Amino acid sequence: MTVSGPLATGSPLPPGPAAPAPGERAAPVTATFVRLKLAVLRNGVRQSRGRTVSWCIGVGLAMLYALGNGAGMIALRGSVYAPAAAVTMAAVLAIGWSVMPLFFFGGDDTLDPTRLAMLPLRPRPLIVALLTSSMIGAGPLFTLLVGTGAVVAVAHGVAGTVVAVPAVILLLAICAALSRGVAAANTRLLTSRKGRDLALLSGLIVAVGAQLVNLALSSLSSHHDLHRVTSVTSVLRWIPPASAVDAVQSVSDGAYGRAAAQLALAVIVLAVVLRWWYTTLHRLMMSPDSSTLQPAPDSTERKGSSRPPLLARLLPARWAASRTATVTERQFRYVARDPRLRASWATGLAVGLLLPLVAVVQHGSVYQCLWTAGLLGLQMYNQFGMDNSAFWTIAATITSRQDAEAELRGRALMLSAVALPYVTVVTCATALLLGKTGALPEVLGMGLAFLGALISTGAYASVRFPYTVAQDNAFGNAAPGNGSLVAFNALGGSVVASAFCLPVLGLDLALHLTGHHALLWTVLPIGAVYALALSVVGLRFTAPRMFERLPEILSAVSGP
Amino acid sequence: MGEAHGTERNTGGRPLPSYYGDRAGPAGRGAGQQPGEASGAPPALRVRGLRKRFGEQEAVAGIDLELPAGHFAGLVGPNGAGKTTTLSMVTGLLRPDEGLVEIVGRDVWSDPVGVKSRIGVLPEGLRLFERLSGRELLTFTGRLRGLPVRDVDLRATQLLDVLDLSAAQHKLVVDYSTGMRKKIGLAAALLHNPEVLFLDEPFEGVDPVSAQVIRGVLERYTATGGTVVFSSHVMELVESLCDWVAVMAAGRIVAHGPLAEVRGEAGTLQDAFLSLVGADRRSAGDLDWLGGGPK
Repeated sequence: MTVSGPLATGSPLPPGPAAPAPGERAAPVTATFVRLKLAVLRNGVRQSRGRTVSWCIGVGLAMLYALGNGAGMIALRGSVYAPAAAVTMAAVLAIGWSVMPLFFFGGDDTLDPTRLAMLPLRPRPLIVALLTSSMIGAGPLFTLLVGTGAVVAVAHGVAGTVVAVPAVILLLAICAALSRGVAAANTRLLTSRKGRDLALLSGLIVAVGAQLVNLALSSLSSHHDLHRVTSVTSVLRWIPPASAVDAVQSVSDGAYGRAAAQLALAVIVLAVVLRWWYTTLHRLMMSPDSSTLQPAPDSTERKGSSRPPLLARLLPARWAASRTATVTERQFRYVARDPRLRASWATGLAVGLLLPLVAVVQHGSVYQCLWTAGLLGLQMYNQFGMDNSAFWTIAATITSRQDAEAELRGRALMLSAVALPYVTVVTCATALLLGKTGALPEVLGMGLAFLGALISTGAYASVRFPYTVAQDNAFGNAAPGNGSLVAFNALGGSVVASAFCLPVLGLDLALHLTGHHALLWTVLPIGAVYALALSVVGLRFTAPRMFERLPEILSAVSGP
Repeated sequence: MGEAHGTERNTGGRPLPSYYGDRAGPAGRGAGQQPGEASGAPPALRVRGLRKRFGEQEAVAGIDLELPAGHFAGLVGPNGAGKTTTLSMVTGLLRPDEGLVEIVGRDVWSDPVGVKSRIGVLPEGLRLFERLSGRELLTFTGRLRGLPVRDVDLRATQLLDVLDLSAAQHKLVVDYSTGMRKKIGLAAALLHNPEVLFLDEPFEGVDPVSAQVIRGVLERYTATGGTVVFSSHVMELVESLCDWVAVMAAGRIVAHGPLAEVRGEAGTLQDAFLSLVGADRRSAGDLDWLGGGPK
């Protein structure tokens, strides 16, 4: 967007009738932005009854959580851990605010400064107005409640109470400025296709992040570990905005010099963040939008270089040019670049790590590692659904059963190249951490057999029961009307694959029941060979069916 | 070829065309089986009794067509006439309910090796692997078609250059404009030097500059003996490009042959087309109040 307002000149225009002095201008602009923010909030809620209800419930729960949190902080008052808790809370709030715009950019229109680029606004009054309007909403209220709880927990005496007020204001201001600064600095990214791709991963990151925090908290709950927390907070208390909160504690302790330094640090950081925001905003509103520019040939993104592809460098030329290697390579690129495939893999990898981690933390069973194999093996299901109608290019180039088998083999190889090392490492690490290295061969053997069973049944299900995947939603795994097919694929596939594992499971049980514990290691090689055989036979059985059904698969996956 | 759906319905127990033509399929369908009776060379495309039904609607209601090689052929017809369904079935992407399709004398369903290596396809409404860069898309397509790596690199470079995509070759196809997508799709369809090229609405949504580039490439291709079959709504375009035309309406071919023959007495292809599909210009008599502002 090219700007033709006063901003476009790069320096303030001489004052004239159309450009009132900044002092006169700031107040109405701020008021306008406050009204704009309120209108955006009101209209967002008003859009539909369902949305109103869900918004009210969401905000109600958040407020309850904030009140509970604040009350908890106040209850800690006088405890030896109160300062540590208050400082940690401030740090968590700041991290939350700075990360938020990256994930929920689309949710708040006022976050995108390029929308304001055509208006004759100067950055300085704009910053005041945007910062003020940032203080309105459920998020700031949440921060205010939790922050107030934090300072009340550490404020003692009159001086402490007096310092508590600017501390909360500084906390709120730094959080809001940080959030706006991050949003402005990343506007180009967040309004682009890449930004939308990134946003598709947000739900996963938040969910897994919440689980990790939960695990961390539960593992830190022992008395011993709280000492570690205290040592971490001795660093955090000097990092704004946590330093502002800790200044209240310092005043209450009578360390006025330290409090002054901490408050000063918070003010300096606020100034630096505002300056950074101002610079980015200025640049953003002055420079033309990338969509209006013709990219110079050299500046284009070099996604695929003219270098030989990775596999060509690793494998002999004859293999690298084969259909199998070509498909494997394409799938690797797709997992890295396609947001839905990436989300699916990231979920598999993250949850596949999380469940064994839970086992370690809660001293559970090493057999939890089978989840890792299961979640990664399920990626083999509905292979062509992710291609969507681009499957036609595959259908157009498959001329024989051998081509079909190479296509399936390439996909299975890509999956195995990630899943084999991942399952092995996760299983070994879990067994080591749980101190059950004796059980490692049988668990790994079972895991590999399960993976092999899922690869072979997944390939068959991909050909026999393909379904289209919603294009615009990374987590809606099927287009409307296909729900039962998805459930059938996931549940039926898991059951059948488990049934395929029975020989290995039977061997394992037999060795346990007959007391041949010394022979339990054999489960690993037998499981590995069984997995390989199952995959090879599965793909060979599926290939002619795929070749025969190419038009039907294309019809099934070419969804909206 | 976005109409490719519902292929398993309403086959009525008839043997479906299958990639294993020896086991099933419409083999031995009456006369006209010997390709190229007249000239000795097989026609680029021969279609006999091609039908496709989606539920109650008969999208393609029995098509017979024979297109000699080396022509620039246009398949024209109003929306919903069955052009996309026909092209999908002809290229093996959609299974017909019945009928025979031969390309350069080879049956699409019984000889997929012979056919798929001889045709290039640019469908409408179907995606490409958009998360690959333009060059990667060509490289992978070439390798999937079994071309030598060196040839793929050379041809990709030349096609990207001719189609004016060299500057954007490392950009992901998802970030391409409509014209650029059509051009990279055309490059992928031409990479293996097919004998017959099927293009579904290749000029739809394409800016004049890209359209001119595409046109130049296609003209060069037919000048060296290639056959192009493309569908379009734009009669002026078909008239200026094609020397052979087939007009479709309601799932049937209502006229086909050399352009001059189809145009007949009508002044333009547009007029001939409108009278063929029964949509001659209606008078706007009912709207005699329209124009000249409020009275």
